[in-house]
Amino acid sequence: MSVKNKPTIALTGVTGFLGSHLMTSMLSRGYKIIVLGRPTKEETLQERISKLLRWFGIEELSGQLELVNIDFLKPMLGLQEANYKKLSAITDQIIHCASDTSFAERKRDTVFKSNVNSLESILEFAANANVKFFHYISTAYVAGANVTICKECITSSTDFLNVYEESKAQAENIIITFCEKNSIPFTIIRPSIVYGDSHTGRSLRFNALYFPIQSLKYIKEIYMNDIKNHDGKKSNQNGIFIDKEGYLCLPLRIYLPKEGALNLIPVDYFVNATMKIITKASSGGIYNLTNNAHTKLEIISKYNEKHMKIRGVEIIYGKSFDNVLRNPAEELFDRFIEPYRLYLSDNRIFDRVNTDLITDNLYPPEFTYEIFKNCMEYANSVNWGESIFAEENKKNQQC
Amino acid sequence: MQNNIAETGNLETPYKTAKNCRHYAMCKIDFLDSGVCASGLEKHFVSFYPQGRMILYEALVENKISVTEKCVEIADSCNLCGKCDYQCYFVNEMRPTKVMEALKHHVETFIKNGGKIKLTKDDRILSEIKKIVGDNWATNDEAITVTYSHDLSPISEPKIPDYIVMPNTKEEIASLVKLCKKNNIPYTMRGNGQNLLGFAIHEGVIIDLNRMKTIEFDEKNWLVTVGPGVAAFDLQKQAQKRGYRINASEPAALVCANIMCSGIMSTFSTTYGINADNFIDAEFVDNDGSFFSLNDVSSPNLYSYKNLQHKSSPGICVSASIKLHPVTDDESGILVPFQTLDKALDFIKDCAVRHIGLALGVVGTEYISTFLASTKKLASEIKNIFINKLDIPYLVVVIGDKFAIHTISEMGFPFFDQRHFRALYLGLPSLKSAQWLNLIKELSDDEPYSYLRIKSFAELLETALFPSPAIYSQDIDPELRPFFEKLFARQEITDLVWLNMYRIMSTRIGRKKPFLPVLIYLPIDNVLINELKDKFSLIAEKYQIDNDFGFITPIDNGKRCIFEYDYFFDHNDPDEIRRIRLAATDANILVDEYSVKTGTVKGHPYVLYQGFCRKENLLYS
Repeated sequence: MSVKNKPTIALTGVTGFLGSHLMTSMLSRGYKIIVLGRPTKEETLQERISKLLRWFGIEELSGQLELVNIDFLKPMLGLQEANYKKLSAITDQIIHCASDTSFAERKRDTVFKSNVNSLESILEFAANANVKFFHYISTAYVAGANVTICKECITSSTDFLNVYEESKAQAENIIITFCEKNSIPFTIIRPSIVYGDSHTGRSLRFNALYFPIQSLKYIKEIYMNDIKNHDGKKSNQNGIFIDKEGYLCLPLRIYLPKEGALNLIPVDYFVNATMKIITKASSGGIYNLTNNAHTKLEIISKYNEKHMKIRGVEIIYGKSFDNVLRNPAEELFDRFIEPYRLYLSDNRIFDRVNTDLITDNLYPPEFTYEIFKNCMEYANSVNWGESIFAEENKKNQQC
Repeated sequence: MQNNIAETGNLETPYKTAKNCRHYAMCKIDFLDSGVCASGLEKHFVSFYPQGRMILYEALVENKISVTEKCVEIADSCNLCGKCDYQCYFVNEMRPTKVMEALKHHVETFIKNGGKIKLTKDDRILSEIKKIVGDNWATNDEAITVTYSHDLSPISEPKIPDYIVMPNTKEEIASLVKLCKKNNIPYTMRGNGQNLLGFAIHEGVIIDLNRMKTIEFDEKNWLVTVGPGVAAFDLQKQAQKRGYRINASEPAALVCANIMCSGIMSTFSTTYGINADNFIDAEFVDNDGSFFSLNDVSSPNLYSYKNLQHKSSPGICVSASIKLHPVTDDESGILVPFQTLDKALDFIKDCAVRHIGLALGVVGTEYISTFLASTKKLASEIKNIFINKLDIPYLVVVIGDKFAIHTISEMGFPFFDQRHFRALYLGLPSLKSAQWLNLIKELSDDEPYSYLRIKSFAELLETALFPSPAIYSQDIDPELRPFFEKLFARQEITDLVWLNMYRIMSTRIGRKKPFLPVLIYLPIDNVLINELKDKFSLIAEKYQIDNDFGFITPIDNGKRCIFEYDYFFDHNDPDEIRRIRLAATDANILVDEYSVKTGTVKGHPYVLYQGFCRKENLLYS
């Protein structure tokens, strides 16, 4: 399809995980993209986007891409009137992807500022630009903590696992109310937990699924170093040792309130499904981009045992660890997974009638060992994100 | 004969080392328990300490002076024991022994090549001075006088005095004052030459007080009376032996001189106070050579305070009775991390108002990383880790008894306790390459420093960093490693209480570059402090001067605080000296403006010669 036949999409959150994948996918499909973003202290918006494009293997900015420095918290997105009008005139649709994904209650103000307060200016822009569609990337977890089936409809829950869920639910309601009032067609797209590409393992972010694995990796390194390079006394005290097969035996009990599973989708599925929704959307559509094949923590633990050569991880359900003597590794790991603990025990079922219909029964793959291995190998190769742009930066410097 | 570099061989390294001497006088105190230069202890003139030899060598290489009798004696008296390497490496990462060797080589070569040793004759004044103090304790030999031409100040120009005198009694000082007055010769008192404003150097007579080291305890009255040559470290050591503590200034600073110039201040000032809080009485020789004591009804009122920058000295402090403070056996230190200065200020104010803790001080990452790291390079890496990986731009040092530490814990602040601190300190080289720091950052996302709440975090830290004297010493010059491994095996060297009460924690702050502190007294007002901090930083940026937050210590029950902001400069770079002088002038003007505007801000330079004043007069009048 030629560029001429495609709508011009204003996209936010492009420097984030989902937004960046959406941008490159849409560019490859011939869409014209207007990136609404901002610079950091260290980099201009152009530098940030160029770096991302290089990571995706796109060497040059094409005529399909336009970058606009904006500020969500300022009137007219912080633009001069002429520029604002020009932007309004050329924008056909908006995909609002920008989001603060922090779960920490202490960051409540920042999270609400990013996820809720910023909506006013982007929605006003949608109205002024008279856009044909406003697509909002939300989360499947807006359904609330105490529901059994998460339907593809407006949420009325007031009980959330964290501030992120709460802010996204509030944002959805604001968007729906505003769009209905202003006759702006809209969709709400709700992915569950997104990991890297299911074929290559590549990813730009390494949170959610990756955190516990990364945590275990570092804990393993600490004890391997103690055993191999020092006297191993500390490991020995805690019953940690290397067995004959070279596995690190690390007694690590993970206490969870109840049995449950993770709902995981790969980023390539998220992109493909979202593209189908955008192409065929009807106003008011709410879509759960979730996986019918949930992944139990035992499965991930098994994958990890094989991949990382760690033994001794035990998952204990329904018991309190308050009076249990815990080793330092357990305490550290426990602290680490705290924000995710309830997601690991999740029993919610996600309805996806709308999604199945609009995506022509496109389903996310089951989370296999192969996928796990690819994802973790990639994460490791880029030092869990620390050196993700190292190659790109090197190439850039050489240029 | 020319005494230049070309003729004396490859002297670049010793010369550079000599030029980089910080003049902190840390080679004059035994802070590492490794001993002090034997010739210095015997001869007392600074010229016979490593610090003096550094200046002497620099002067010889630069042809400022000739090889004199005393020069030969100074060079010969060094037995190359290497003790100064330990001391200077700990503080500045320098090894003066190379300079000592080069000095010896220089003098030997000069003599071998038939150089004529310059003989210095006594003039009338020197003869009269010698009648007062004895032949050994006064000289006009330029090898000695040149070593008194420097101090710490970037503001003053080096000046070579005419005579150096080392009296041993207050009566000798009185006679010297009368002699100088009669002959219209300027005289300047010198402790260990640490004055930041250039007041320890002058033409005329320099009266070096380092022979007057009497320390007399009056335990019944919780007092210790010290002579003017006693250094803070030595006094603290004696006090500690008897189960007491004094409020100590910089370890090499002489106690009487320190009170005279600025008043004693430290993180313990939160409890022990400042200025007149620290002593009971002091004895002086006035400018006519007469004696007076502070407690005499007829004596000048040194308890008062005038907000004037230029004042004359009321006399020479020849002894002071310093307060002794009780020590309990449950004291320990903690470091409380904060993400913002505001939160750190709220915390110290709260603690000071509620009388929680004996010593309190907010420090920045420059301060803490410079102290913790064994080398400049490691300090720079650790500073980045503190800011970027641990998310800790500020820390509050607290020394307190078990009740104080328990209370802070109850207040809900996570902190590095003594065990964490020791692990962090001795495992520091492992920290720079620790991959798991990325994990720590993620944990911080949940709650600031939540990792410190993990019950067994100390054990984790010990497992991960494998702290030990050997690990700590791995980046140290291999020749010095065995010494440092033994040193860091000693408990006190990683004990926050010891490090703070002896002021060892601040000794490395000038390692990268010498520094000029801007010191002010002001209320613990977050807006005011942040405003001043930002303006001090802007001044430094204007003159392209390295700068950083120094420390803040609450005083007088949290009603006021002492705030130090540091400017760093290369004392061998004339342009940088020019710029630091301009920056210092601008900073003083800024403080003056705020002093007028707020009525509560007081600049430290105003305290010069008024260190004996009541803190109430200084802070509130």
